[in-house]
Amino acid sequence: MNPLIDNLGLVLEALGTTLMMAVVAGVGSILLGVLVTVARVSPIRALRVAAFGYVQFFINVPLLALLLLAVFALPDAGLMLPLTPTAIIVLIVYEAAYVAEAVRSGVNTVAVGQLEASRALGLTLAQSLRLVVLPQALRAVVQPIGNVMIALAMNTALAAAVGVVELTAAVNKINLVAAQPILIFSSAGVIYMGIALVIGLAAGRVERKVAIVR
Amino acid sequence: MFRITRRKAVAGAALAAAALALTACSSTTSLPGDENDADASAETNSVFADAPVAADDLILPGSTMERIKERGKLVVAEALDAPLLSQQNPTDPDSVEGFDADLAKLLAIYILGEPNVEIVPPATETREAMLQNDTVDVVFNTYTITPERAEQVSFAGPYFESGLAVAVKSDNDDIKGIEDLDGKEVIVGANTPAVTAVPEQAPTANVTAFATDPAAVQALLQGRGDAYVQDYTLLASNAANDSSLKVVGTPFTKEPYGIGLKHGDDDFKSFVNDWLLSIQKSGHWAEAWKTTLGTVTDSDVPTAPEIGSVPGS
Amino acid sequence: MTAQLIPDRPTAVRRQDRAPRYAAAFLYDEPGPLAKRRHLIGSIVSCVVFAIVVGLGLWQFASHGQLDAEKWVPFTDPAVWQYLFVGLLGTLEATVVVAVLGAALGVVLAFGRMSHRPWVRGLSGAYIEIARTVPVLLVIYLMLFGLPQIGINVPTLWKLAIPLIIANSAVFAEIIRAGVLSLPRGQREAALSLGMRSTQATRLVVLPQAVRNVTPSLVTQLVSLMKDTSLGFIVAFTELLYRGQVLATYLHLLIPTYLVVTLIYLVVNGSLSALAAHLQQRLHRTGSPMPRLPRLPALSGAARKAS
Repeated sequence: MNPLIDNLGLVLEALGTTLMMAVVAGVGSILLGVLVTVARVSPIRALRVAAFGYVQFFINVPLLALLLLAVFALPDAGLMLPLTPTAIIVLIVYEAAYVAEAVRSGVNTVAVGQLEASRALGLTLAQSLRLVVLPQALRAVVQPIGNVMIALAMNTALAAAVGVVELTAAVNKINLVAAQPILIFSSAGVIYMGIALVIGLAAGRVERKVAIVR
Repeated sequence: MFRITRRKAVAGAALAAAALALTACSSTTSLPGDENDADASAETNSVFADAPVAADDLILPGSTMERIKERGKLVVAEALDAPLLSQQNPTDPDSVEGFDADLAKLLAIYILGEPNVEIVPPATETREAMLQNDTVDVVFNTYTITPERAEQVSFAGPYFESGLAVAVKSDNDDIKGIEDLDGKEVIVGANTPAVTAVPEQAPTANVTAFATDPAAVQALLQGRGDAYVQDYTLLASNAANDSSLKVVGTPFTKEPYGIGLKHGDDDFKSFVNDWLLSIQKSGHWAEAWKTTLGTVTDSDVPTAPEIGSVPGS
Repeated sequence: MTAQLIPDRPTAVRRQDRAPRYAAAFLYDEPGPLAKRRHLIGSIVSCVVFAIVVGLGLWQFASHGQLDAEKWVPFTDPAVWQYLFVGLLGTLEATVVVAVLGAALGVVLAFGRMSHRPWVRGLSGAYIEIARTVPVLLVIYLMLFGLPQIGINVPTLWKLAIPLIIANSAVFAEIIRAGVLSLPRGQREAALSLGMRSTQATRLVVLPQAVRNVTPSLVTQLVSLMKDTSLGFIVAFTELLYRGQVLATYLHLLIPTYLVVTLIYLVVNGSLSALAAHLQQRLHRTGSPMPRLPRLPALSGAARKAS
């Protein structure tokens, strides 16, 4: 009845690709985003400027244009990778800028007294960041990072434009034959909603677990 | 602090006023390039000269034709980025050139006497819905007639029969046609008939779909695929533009293009079929073909397909 | 905080003794000459390496013929730029409409969610949660397919704007709510104790500070919103990215077209962010009752001389 159920194998395989991309890109972007924020507070001016430029560039440029350029322009500049890894790398680099912005606002919420105390205790910069600043900063921005992860999951749909067979591509393929767009796209929308809901609930649980009681 | 609040309030009001003013400016159509003037098609005047106009008794009262005539323009779902078929010219956004575009204008002349066409570019998945809720009157979008689609919309025509062909890089002599594609990496356009045709004809081919034609061509040239399967005329246009790819073999499928109409509108369907017959007889169909699709191939004007000859039409 | 807002003794603080301009600099001592030299070398080396990588990339790019004049000549035609510019106007129009209406609705929802009336709280909360998880594309499809079936036909701009407003108002609501929650509770209490009514306290005390606190997030969301207007191609709304696609097909040039479109987005969005940052700095200088970075006596010259 529902064309998606008739093609369940294709849908599940594509859903697997979507989830894989979302998870890998999610973890990667969080790690890279934290690194970029660390660069922004480092004493080396070049790193601070570079991190600032990185964040500004990727926040202001649309993802579709980046994907197309990465898949088609980068090979001519010497770097050609298979499609799915390219898409994942672009997603990581793009969403890391958003994560960096979120973590930056988290770092700003850490009281200055914390920084002074850590210095008074003799902690080096790396230790202060690792033991004092970042744990508090990250706990304060669990929800914004959750939002970024939801946006990331939705953005995996753009990879369909560059040939990655993920859920949106598979759904379009099924619709090509079945020609029932409302039913098919609503079902796909519900699946994406489910993914977003899971991420939102996970973020809520993590937030409750690590909440700083003021 | 009160100063800032007031300033903010004034700024906010100004912004809101600006937003409302902007929306008031463009309350109806948001596509500046979709109103075609009668004299915008200067180069293709030969196509529209003496184009047939429907006699008044053919415009049945209460029919779609009458509604279109009263409105004064024909609303068509047509692409803006399909070279040779319906491509908007960025240097002159009012002119949309191509076979589909010309046929739409001819239909408008038939109903209204003037080629007053309003173009609404559809996304592939919205074509059926646009017909069902009367957003557009007809769909001229290389709309392949299939029995599944015929359950959702009505098809007039077919008005053209095309086929899928294979293109490779110019220095590739291994692949001579669809039969050589087994086990190879094949590029197709997403939402084109090639998505289902290639697995049928070359089951072991590895298919990658790209959203737009320029992307697919670039992928082929970069070596992300060994061959590109796409509509024959589109490939010919690409090959004519870029000598680093060539078309090999002959079209291996038959893709009948139909004019999409609202499901069940039989009056309009027979009206459009009559029009199609008349422009084929009067030579306007051939003229339209010559000035668009015919420019990239040496072959003669093909014979128009027989109306109603395909299941679903 | 150990900092003194009003120091015990008014000291003339010289420029180089003032506290560093970014808070995180409290994390480490002022770098000494050796460290400064190491940092300088590190900066120079990384700049050189970066320049080499970019240069190599460009050279490879050129050797593949991507920098050939014939690929870029079409972009000297002003008609092409006008075509893209009209698309940009469409994008901006949609952005402004969605930003203004979405922000207004977001403020309402944010305070609804913090209301003491449970049904208001529940309703706002439910709306926010649903609107945040539903993909915007789905709402656009619903508007495109569903509404005409019940006879409602809206202009193209609103077919794009309404779904975006629905989705973005929820995000704006969450951002504003985070801003309000980050304020010390004393602000609202002090306002109320001064005799302000609840709405006055909200309007005059809480909201301005909350918005100031989360301006970066709001600007980021605004930029994100502007990029989301590219979904307008589904409803045939004229905007920049779709026009770029038509142009790429017309010129048979993928890479130069998308490089130009990326550049346009970068310039426009970058100016937007820069403008917002500039505005935020001005607001801070004129109105904030608390200085952002207190001057620590430990870092000021007088104390150093004394120790």
